[in-house]
Amino acid sequence: MSVITLANLLITYLVGIATVQDLGRQGYRGLGVPVSGVLDVLSASYANALVGNEVSAALIEFTGSITLRADKDLVVAVTGGLPKVYVDQYEVPSWRPIYLKSGKELVVRPSDRGNIHYVAVSGGIECESVLGSKSTYVRGGFGCLGRPLRVGDTLLVPDVNVESLWSRVYSLIPATNPGERVPKRDEVLVLRATKGVHAEQLQDLETLLKSEYVVTLESDRMGYRLDGPPLTSASRLGRLPSIPTDRGYVQVPPDGKPIVLMSDAQTTGGYAVALHVVPPDIGVLAQVRPGHRVRFVEVSVEDAERLTSSYLNEVEKPKLALEESWEY
Amino acid sequence: MRVHEIKIISSGGYVIHVDICRDVNLECVNAMHKLYYTLKKELSSFVKELVSGVTSIALFYDPRRISSDYLTKKIRELWLWSQQIELSEVYKPRRFVIPVSYGGELGPDLKSVASWAGLSEEEVVKLHTSRSYTCYTLGFTPGFLYLGEVEPRIAAPRLETPRVKIPAGSVGIAGKMTGVYGLESPGGWRLIGRTPLTMFDYRRDPPIPVAPGDIVVFKSITLEEFGKLKGLYVGDYVG
Repeated sequence: MSVITLANLLITYLVGIATVQDLGRQGYRGLGVPVSGVLDVLSASYANALVGNEVSAALIEFTGSITLRADKDLVVAVTGGLPKVYVDQYEVPSWRPIYLKSGKELVVRPSDRGNIHYVAVSGGIECESVLGSKSTYVRGGFGCLGRPLRVGDTLLVPDVNVESLWSRVYSLIPATNPGERVPKRDEVLVLRATKGVHAEQLQDLETLLKSEYVVTLESDRMGYRLDGPPLTSASRLGRLPSIPTDRGYVQVPPDGKPIVLMSDAQTTGGYAVALHVVPPDIGVLAQVRPGHRVRFVEVSVEDAERLTSSYLNEVEKPKLALEESWEY
Repeated sequence: MRVHEIKIISSGGYVIHVDICRDVNLECVNAMHKLYYTLKKELSSFVKELVSGVTSIALFYDPRRISSDYLTKKIRELWLWSQQIELSEVYKPRRFVIPVSYGGELGPDLKSVASWAGLSEEEVVKLHTSRSYTCYTLGFTPGFLYLGEVEPRIAAPRLETPRVKIPAGSVGIAGKMTGVYGLESPGGWRLIGRTPLTMFDYRRDPPIPVAPGDIVVFKSITLEEFGKLKGLYVGDYVG
């Protein structure tokens, strides 16, 4: 790799949790290394595509509000839910490329739609890659900075020709805005799922499919814990031999309350797995906040394969369009 | 050899779970390893990632390239084939020696294992170091080794209340399995000692050289030797 000049992006304000992530550490589950990576894969892919990056480039994932100051002209894009974005005092659109001049501040505040947001920067964030990924795995203390970002942190961004990049990307928008996937506060989120590994051993699986659950405060990058009618059959199963697990596995510990595994989940688990939420719906679950109501609906493996296929196509190649009337 | 039925479950549209057996024992684990390395050899071009559990295997596939139906048929064929061969035909297990300082502060549960067993601490150490263990799998946290089978007399059950923080390198017992914590993590295994070796180094690729099916032997060392070996990478230690 040739020498790259680095420009900086400084974090000047942060209320929430922010980490650098990419599409995760693939191929090391067998050694017990969690995949990590962005929670809402589709939003992250769009953010990168909008600034002309590979979809696998490292970017900032955060909850809450953040302010970033550019030390050099950059092209950035903010995605996730439907956040409020400002450059200095002026509101600018999310899900669009933004020309951020040197010395200007980018402010992102959540609206009532969305919980996890992304800031992609032209060229991607430069930091330590571990086992093929810059995703921060906080529990393991590795990947990028190996810890959450703090106010005062400086992120390094490779030097790119911003003028020429801007002329290529300035009119890009998503063909349909994935931010609209995020349900309104009072809308029940429906998660499509196939049966999980232990579905047959859980006699009251119907409870899980017929009831409404609520996302609890004990939800983080490892898993989203839900509250609602417990599956009493789970406590009778006791400890099971540990099986390989993944994002989207709906584990039911002995207390009967489901946990939907997320990006930093352990690679193996000894709890009963009742359902498996399809990949496109995990990113949407990541976007709802504690208190949000969810329910599960069963889909066949064939349907899940179809849904996963079109989702993977979109993640690898986000559907972008040109906004004709967009003037900067 | 009589080959039993396996259970194959597809889920999520991109994962196939293969349940080899219900109970964790060496016979089941050997059968799993034969299938694991056979699948690795035969299906690696179709499958994104192959992961073993303790009694099961997961295949992560791209549904745009291959279907669960096709893979399921293929896995059934390969299961029958894999059980007719020796493991060495598909994988040559390596042998690792792990030096351990037993008891004291580094092995706070050696006492409770000894009293559970009705043996002296020295006898527990002797039994723990007298066997070659098979690496069942890695998982739970980065570089955690699941090893077995433990001599029944010292197969003490896991702690009722797990510890919040266990130092990297801790060696524990949980029933018929013994294990090594690759990184600091929470855990409920009874800690009988600690290795000075660095078991998991994320700046290396792979970060731990031990693989499912490999053989691990423990060797008792003094505190002084522990100090001298501190930080040496497991792959560089010659017992």
